[in-house]
Amino acid sequence: MSNAAPDSSGLSPRRAVYLIARREFATRIRGKVFVIGTVVAVALLALYAVLQLAVIDRINTTTTFKVGFSGPATALAQPLEAASPSLGFKVHVSDIATEARGRSEVRAGSLDALVEGTPGAPQVVVKTGIDPTLQAALVSLAKQHVLSTDLSAAGLSPATVEGQINAVALGVDTLQPATAAQLQGPIIGFVMAFALYIFIGIYGGVIGQGVVAEKASRVVEILLSTVRPGQLLLGKVIGIGLVGLLQLGIIALCGLLFTVPTGVLALPGAAIGAVLIGVMWFALGFILYALMLAATASLVSRVEEVSSATVPVTMLMVVTWLLAYVVAIPAIDAVTGGGAASHGLATLTTVLSLIPPFTPVLMSIRMAAGGVPLWQGLLALVLVLASIGGVTWLGARIYANSVLRFGARIRILDALRR
Amino acid sequence: MAEPVLEIDRLSKRYGSVLALDEVSFELGAGELFGFVGPNGAGKTSTMRIVLGVLAADSGAVRWRGQPISFATRRRIGYMPEERGLYPSMGVTEQLVYLAELHGMRAPAAHAAAAHWLERLGLGDRGGEQLQKLSQGNQQRVQLAAALLYSPDLLVLDEPFSGLDPVAVDVMSAVLREQADAGISVLFSSHQLDLVEQLCDRVGIISAGRMLAVGSVAELRAGSAPRYWVDAPDAPAGWVEWVPGATLIRQEDSRVLVELAAPAGDQSLLQVALTTGPVHEFRRDLPSLTDLFRSVVAEEPGPSGATAQRDIEEAAS
Repeated sequence: MSNAAPDSSGLSPRRAVYLIARREFATRIRGKVFVIGTVVAVALLALYAVLQLAVIDRINTTTTFKVGFSGPATALAQPLEAASPSLGFKVHVSDIATEARGRSEVRAGSLDALVEGTPGAPQVVVKTGIDPTLQAALVSLAKQHVLSTDLSAAGLSPATVEGQINAVALGVDTLQPATAAQLQGPIIGFVMAFALYIFIGIYGGVIGQGVVAEKASRVVEILLSTVRPGQLLLGKVIGIGLVGLLQLGIIALCGLLFTVPTGVLALPGAAIGAVLIGVMWFALGFILYALMLAATASLVSRVEEVSSATVPVTMLMVVTWLLAYVVAIPAIDAVTGGGAASHGLATLTTVLSLIPPFTPVLMSIRMAAGGVPLWQGLLALVLVLASIGGVTWLGARIYANSVLRFGARIRILDALRR
Repeated sequence: MAEPVLEIDRLSKRYGSVLALDEVSFELGAGELFGFVGPNGAGKTSTMRIVLGVLAADSGAVRWRGQPISFATRRRIGYMPEERGLYPSMGVTEQLVYLAELHGMRAPAAHAAAAHWLERLGLGDRGGEQLQKLSQGNQQRVQLAAALLYSPDLLVLDEPFSGLDPVAVDVMSAVLREQADAGISVLFSSHQLDLVEQLCDRVGIISAGRMLAVGSVAELRAGSAPRYWVDAPDAPAGWVEWVPGATLIRQEDSRVLVELAAPAGDQSLLQVALTTGPVHEFRRDLPSLTDLFRSVVAEEPGPSGATAQRDIEEAAS
């Protein structure tokens, strides 16, 4: 065979990153984390939806009461039937000729309740106990009957009085109206931040292990003779990140498919903006943390040592999460709750959300809640992008200097030195 | 030597307090097979890693066709690192194609090259398997294929023969010779000195970071004192001392190995031997690369002498 000489300029940096990312994607998508993780998550979601459906079904099923009336109390039958839809139950009324027959029907279970006596002082016969809603309805109807009788006796028209009562309304003057986004926002921001935390936990781990596996199998030496460490690092983070994003997308889509028809979760249009902003911070946060994880993982030579080597980065993640809990969420809760956050808490949240390692989580929570000045959002974005650049450079340096040193763990300062 | 294509110019590298390379220099011609020998830790791997750019030198330069070697030229080097390594759970063809693409080939050419080299190295039917399912020797062949795939201009192979069975050694030797004959320069290191002697056009001996000798085996021999085996059964003990400039190296029964200070001394050695009675054997002892290596490394003062000696014995066993 005449080995066609390849174009020696045929590998642009972009193609190098693409090839590396493509390999990671193709390999990981067949991997255990992806296949088993997705199947388990979707199965759990399906189970959750089914359970929710069962619970909601029980709540939504309107009960029908079979109520028998006998004697003068029969005057309450019509009003009960009329009022039942607004009270959340159905009622099936019947006239019972004799009290004795009614009692035997109640005992047999073909009637839920027998109402006797007068409309103003009804007597209810039940088998074991009376349903509270039915009881409340009957009490209210009896009171109304007494009131109407008394009004008529006093020469007033019950219908006029009722109309006047119903006209009474409470005027509410909202000084700071909460929008749908504001009410949904904190929840969406919180969910996105939590998803980011879990996602970095899982896929950051995959990246760290991938780096060390390449180091342990020594294939990295061949790779570094043709691509630069930064390209290798970036390709890995992008490839594995996309696999994770795909998995997250599948899970989210399944979640929507399962929950929207059942009404477990409704996604109002106003929340979509919050989701999009969340996705942006999510991607940036993942890249930032994944680069740090990859660089620190390259300091060790065995897969078992990855988690101890990456402790500084995972600690940073935990600290971010704590700050979200202790500072940002209380501050936002106070604002959306109608009150005002204490000045200190609000300032602290603003400052912390501009510090790059904290930004992705804190900003996605803040921006989802709304009310973040544009300049702060842009500044945070610029700072995060700059720190991604910095971490890529620093990470590539640590990576290049430690990835060919096998054996004992390398100190970070030694790795930074050339 | 043909016109040099690869020039290694006074490379130095220090790891902490250890001077791993001390002004190492040598050159490679086009189509030349160059054997790089030396004890473990002598600096072979460091030199090769610097050529490949995976390690940075403290000082010195590597030039390819007269120009400082660049990232783009390095892609034209086929590399087999000392520590073998490919992706264990990836398919054989799949990862060869990946590596070829990383060296700038497009997918169709990469597939063709992978198929060609697997066939050539006797692994034609194993392309679909995971690398880790292959035997150690076959994994090594895949590793060689990975270095040859993208038709490089230079091959840098660190210990390509270690761990190979005799059949694989023959295949590897033939492939290296074939590549050199096609004009590709080959730099490889090995502890199998007899193999290096057989195969290489030129040899470099390195120890403790210093290049001690460079040249063809014949050139290296020319620098060493001539030795002769003489079998004179009736000669009295100590007869060798009668010859001016002669030193007794070894005695095996009636045979003696004699080293002469000057090549011209061989005639007087024979004459003296004949005066003692019959001479059954008179033969020039050409030093093997192992002997040359031993004598060159032994001359080297310093702590590495003992290690070097142990290393030669390991290599010989």
